[in-house]
Amino acid sequence: MGMGDDSTMSNPTNDLSHGIDKQYLASPIKNLVDKYQLVPEFLKVRGLVKQHLDSFNYFVKTEIKKIVQANKEIRSILDPNIYLKYNDVHIGEPSIMVDGVTEKLNPQKCRLCDITYAAPIYVDIEYTTGSHGQISVQTKKNVTIGRMPVMLRSCCCVLYGKDEEELAKLGECPLDPGGYFVIKGTEKVILIQEQLSKNRIIIDTDKKGCVQASVTSSTEKTKSKTIVKMEKEKVYLELNMFKTKVPIMIVMKAMGMESDQEVVQMIGRDPRFSALLLPSIEECADLKVYTQQQALEFLESDKMLKMFSYSAGPVEKGARALSILRDIFLANVPVHKHNFRKKCIYVAVMMRRMMEAILNKDAMDDKDYVGNKRLELSGQLLSLLFEDLFKTMNDEARKTVDALLARPSRSSRLDISPYIAKDSITVGMERTLSTGNWDVKRFRMHRKGMTQVVARLSYIGSLGHMTKISPQFEKSRKVSGPRALQPSQWGMLCPCDTPEGEACGLVKNLALMTHVTTDEDEQPIISLCYCLGVEDLEQLSAEELHMPSSYLIILNGLILGKHRSPQRFANAMRKLRRAGKIGEFISIFVNEKQRSVYIASDGGRVCRPLVIADKGVSRIKEQHMKELRDGVRNFDSFLRDGLIEYLDVNEENNSLIALYEKEATPETTHIEIEPFTILGVCAGLIPYPHHNQSPRNTYQCAMGKQAMGNIAYNQLSRMDTLIYLLVYPQRPLLTTRTIELVGYDKLGAGQNATVAVMSYSGYDIEDAIVMNKSSLDRGFGRCIVMKKYSATCLKYENNTSDRIIKPQRQGYEAERMQILDEDGLASPGEIIRPHDIYINKESPTVTRTPVSSPMSLPDSAYKPSRQTYKGPEGETPVVDRVALHSDKNNNLCIKFMIRHTRRPEIGDKFSSRHGQKGVCGTIVQQEDFPFSERGICPDLIMNPHGFPSRMTVGKMIELLGSKAGVSCGRFHYGSAFGEPSGHADTVDTISETLVKHGFSYNGKDFIYSGITGMPLQAYIFMGPIYYQKLKHMVLDKMHARGSGPRVMITRQPTEGRSRNGGLRVGEMERDCLIAYGASMLIYERLMISSDPFEVQVCRKCGLLGYYNYKLKTGICSMCKNGENISTMKLPYACKLLIQELQSMNIVPRLKLSEA
Amino acid sequence: MEGVSYQRFPRIKIREVKDDYMKFELRDTDASIANALRRVMIAEVPTIAIDLVEIEVNSSVLNDEFISHRLGLIPLTSERAMSMRFSRDCDACDGDGQCEYCSVEFYLRVKCLSDQTLDVTSKDLLSSDHTVVPVDYSDASSGFDNSTNKGIIIVKLRRGQELRLRAIARKGIAKDHAKWSPAATVTFMYEPDIYINEDMMETLTLEEKRELVDSSPTKVFGIDPENKVIVVDAEAYTYDDEVLKKCEAMGKPGLIEIHAKEDSFIFTVETTGAVKASQLVLNAIEVLKQKLDAVRLSDDTVEADDQFGELGAHMRGG
Repeated sequence: MGMGDDSTMSNPTNDLSHGIDKQYLASPIKNLVDKYQLVPEFLKVRGLVKQHLDSFNYFVKTEIKKIVQANKEIRSILDPNIYLKYNDVHIGEPSIMVDGVTEKLNPQKCRLCDITYAAPIYVDIEYTTGSHGQISVQTKKNVTIGRMPVMLRSCCCVLYGKDEEELAKLGECPLDPGGYFVIKGTEKVILIQEQLSKNRIIIDTDKKGCVQASVTSSTEKTKSKTIVKMEKEKVYLELNMFKTKVPIMIVMKAMGMESDQEVVQMIGRDPRFSALLLPSIEECADLKVYTQQQALEFLESDKMLKMFSYSAGPVEKGARALSILRDIFLANVPVHKHNFRKKCIYVAVMMRRMMEAILNKDAMDDKDYVGNKRLELSGQLLSLLFEDLFKTMNDEARKTVDALLARPSRSSRLDISPYIAKDSITVGMERTLSTGNWDVKRFRMHRKGMTQVVARLSYIGSLGHMTKISPQFEKSRKVSGPRALQPSQWGMLCPCDTPEGEACGLVKNLALMTHVTTDEDEQPIISLCYCLGVEDLEQLSAEELHMPSSYLIILNGLILGKHRSPQRFANAMRKLRRAGKIGEFISIFVNEKQRSVYIASDGGRVCRPLVIADKGVSRIKEQHMKELRDGVRNFDSFLRDGLIEYLDVNEENNSLIALYEKEATPETTHIEIEPFTILGVCAGLIPYPHHNQSPRNTYQCAMGKQAMGNIAYNQLSRMDTLIYLLVYPQRPLLTTRTIELVGYDKLGAGQNATVAVMSYSGYDIEDAIVMNKSSLDRGFGRCIVMKKYSATCLKYENNTSDRIIKPQRQGYEAERMQILDEDGLASPGEIIRPHDIYINKESPTVTRTPVSSPMSLPDSAYKPSRQTYKGPEGETPVVDRVALHSDKNNNLCIKFMIRHTRRPEIGDKFSSRHGQKGVCGTIVQQEDFPFSERGICPDLIMNPHGFPSRMTVGKMIELLGSKAGVSCGRFHYGSAFGEPSGHADTVDTISETLVKHGFSYNGKDFIYSGITGMPLQAYIFMGPIYYQKLKHMVLDKMHARGSGPRVMITRQPTEGRSRNGGLRVGEMERDCLIAYGASMLIYERLMISSDPFEVQVCRKCGLLGYYNYKLKTGICSMCKNGENISTMKLPYACKLLIQELQSMNIVPRLKLSEA
Repeated sequence: MEGVSYQRFPRIKIREVKDDYMKFELRDTDASIANALRRVMIAEVPTIAIDLVEIEVNSSVLNDEFISHRLGLIPLTSERAMSMRFSRDCDACDGDGQCEYCSVEFYLRVKCLSDQTLDVTSKDLLSSDHTVVPVDYSDASSGFDNSTNKGIIIVKLRRGQELRLRAIARKGIAKDHAKWSPAATVTFMYEPDIYINEDMMETLTLEEKRELVDSSPTKVFGIDPENKVIVVDAEAYTYDDEVLKKCEAMGKPGLIEIHAKEDSFIFTVETTGAVKASQLVLNAIEVLKQKLDAVRLSDDTVEADDQFGELGAHMRGG
């Protein structure tokens, strides 16, 4: 787009620069490093989870008002004079009512006390009181109708706009991004949902290969799907209101387009289109449908229309078909006063686009194209939920009032207002958010797993969770299309961060600078379009619709009209957007192929900021960046001054974006801010990702979320069920810009280990690593695992309650109560061992029937209900913290955090930042480790075989860069694609630094064997690499059993580690043993070591008998004697099977013979 | 075995000695001896380190194990260590390791009362034995300003937080835990033997000579006023082969030949401050002698087992 002409308009700052060398100022930034400053500025303004916050803020500020406005009246059906009106709605401060007192809430308190972080929803109401004759209108302000869960850091949250110190006072981590809810103490995030865009014509093929144009209409009132398809050369409409497909010409006629010629004109006079339409016109004629009335009658006939039970009496002929066409068919196109022309044109455009696709397959739409996708965020989902609950509540209120009115004798005067103050909204919101099941019947929505508990394993894990996009499809579908990397994802969705396995490619993550739009009012844009010369369709003849000289103007899928010079129109719109006259997220997209201009202002589009360039010259000059550095400018002022703008995926297609300014040509319209922003948060941690084989980066994205480290600044005051912490986390020596931007340098999850890439000891095959014992002694890889145990003191029906009593200091139980304090609770700092009691609780024996004095029961009325710690033997866990609070039923809750410090051991899992995971294979004394003549001794030895097939060159560069970093004392950078812009140090400069500090340029060192003292044969590649300790540790997994518990009914060993189960010799193992002929081994494994059982078998009848201990003989209960009894061994499961079969009247008989 | 004697008489030449740093040459012996010395210095010279911590009050941000671990890693002056007993074979206290012969008691009692964070350092550790104290790094020779040097930080306390504990330091060796290692760096290198073929060198131009000299990443060679290539510092050579490769590239293989002398080693020893570097070497030789005695005695006497404990068993590969 030629934007050259408006360069004079913007940049008012240019005029201020008198006396300065204008030529210098006008020259573009020579060094692109400077523009990077915009990224932190962007993140400062928008934050890492701005999409969630924006969406929620929009909901509580605008959307909720709209919903209430749309359902503002509750009017009694019986007496229309009685009503209640909502005048206004707003969300208050997060608070909770405790014993009638309002108490302010903060998120940390909610997390600790297991309550919901929610704020009251206040409404201003106007309602009637009294009855019959004397009705008086009253108003009330700030009536609470329920409590709305509040998103952390949103505008309703107490954390909004707080600085670091204030956040610390509230017990909150300043680096925590917010964007989630606290529901009953658990943090829940509503995942971003990916959907196909609504109200847009999508051309694709159905299962049979027929080309179809479909529109999923979605308005406040209805949702419907309309399909126009070409089948057997004829065009049909599919709508689920009709039993079968409907010939399209009949639909056109039913909408008042009786003239076939006009339809042809509307589609376009191109003979190819007419030829395609001809069979449909003929079909319509064959059916003898010529007029609107005939068409409507045809549609209403029993074979077409689906019958609905509610047919409310006789209605005018054709009226029902007409109302379907008006309200359900293409519901997004409004019909005013039975004027169907807009709908006709819409259908014509659909048909035309479909026919274009038939003639030219390129015109087909790509469903996986990001521009055809919309992201549904928490705000939209909550608004659906709220609307449903609000309407339900209003209906309930009306029904109650009607029921009251219907009652013949009413004593008190009628007052509606109490009926709206139920807790149905509160409960509904809370339940939906905590289960994640969106069951909104009104909108036919049944979705599961919409919310997830925020992953608090590592800081990056929780950040990554906020940017996760969950797919619309079910994961089982075996199609590659939606899973493939789309070129249109560039800059919007991270190309690396996706899980492996079934959800691969379907679950995506947002890139660093992506913004997701919220809805914007259409009305001003519509009027603006008409002002800018858009010709209304009403004034146009059918013929003029597809004139070669004009383009259609389509706003959010609605055809506004046409414009004769679309490019000028688009330029004007863009100019207005850059000037801030219309919203910055409105996209203007000229589609030359479809000869239309698409304007989009709807929510859920992904977009990203780009620097505007005029004829290839960036609008951002050095002066702007200087102003930014000086703090006089911020990101918004860049936006306001038209230096930067947001482009969505569609509008990107109208622009030519240069990666770097030096690559810009006169055709260039935009310049990228920084190339590394195409990656997301998780992939941003990888140094030199552009040197790695791509799947390695994907693996690292998954593994970074399992790395232990610091979770948040408030990690030690959190009471999560499981926390993994690293004892000495470090900041990576080789950082990236993203690491600094997201704060990974403050909450790291790993340590810089000196790694020697060599083979050592043979315990390093298959990616195992050899570790230095002295390093482990000094704290490398040491971690703290904290687990929560909780107990509740229940209150019972008869007013009795559990009690916690003093521990016994003498007696046989005293030993197990050693760690208890005088208050009966384990005291912090005590070492807790398995079978230790951590809470000395007693419960009353009688809890149901009323007792005389519930508060002063004798000791004998209590039975102990102590809780004992069950953990593996040999560990030394410590009671870290004990917290007491009351839950929502006012019961006393006690939480214990049990801490265990672990040093790495053989089998613990480690990983570098390049998808190279491995377990610790052996631990070797430092004196046996190789050393260099400087005295450097590695912490870790990694086998070189990990490199050739993995091709993680980035890891090698990381080693070089870190080595240079430690020797020169400066953190080196390895941002993605950062070499040209200086955000990544090149190998050349790194090598120079290495040589300057006396190392070899290639990072290899001359090394002596620690065992013999002889030099090694080869130079060893050695230096620091950032290593992460992953949460998988042997201690949690190792399991073996000799004898142990058995399942009650089969008497076989239990299953699973948690139940100390046995290790199963399965079918395949059994087959091997059979094939080998190890019959005694099979006998031993499957019988002796499993469930042997001695049975008495009657040789005569073949049934099982029993052993009579008095007579000391076996007796057959069938034969009533003990004459033919044999004793034999049988698996208990077999005996069980025989008995179960007998119980259903099947007699299994054992035939015995001598062996 | 009879007849042939491999006995050699190694020599040590000390180049540089500081309190915690030492550099010496070890000549007329082979890698096995040099490496044995190195290994003993790293892992088997006993020192004293905090081994048991009884925490009375800990309201700091770090948990008990964390602080205990940090305390253990603080180097304590261990001149006495060689004469002390291992607590496991101390007769005076039946091995519970609380007597004066095998342990030293420390106390730490700190509470922060001011608004500023208080650094708890190794200087706050009060020892029951004035010979065993946390290592003081604030000597004048280190070049640090004394006023800012406060010792090793254990934990930082904010107002109201308190740390009270009793710690017991014991003798141990780094084989058990790295905290007992007296060595920060112990390393050796083979002394390089550099031979420059003067005749061939004369064929080079000055430019080429400069290139050759610069090709070594470390400053090994130089050019003297007579434009001759000379060895400036042979020990700066890191066996990187860069110069040799350069010669090869110049088409003059054999211009410079470098060999490692098989029988001379240059040792660099740095200590944590627990013992003086010179003492460390002496102690290491002492321990090495004991170990050799153990080997010698283990053949004919069973008592050696009792005398040397695990050491003897270890020596026999047990």
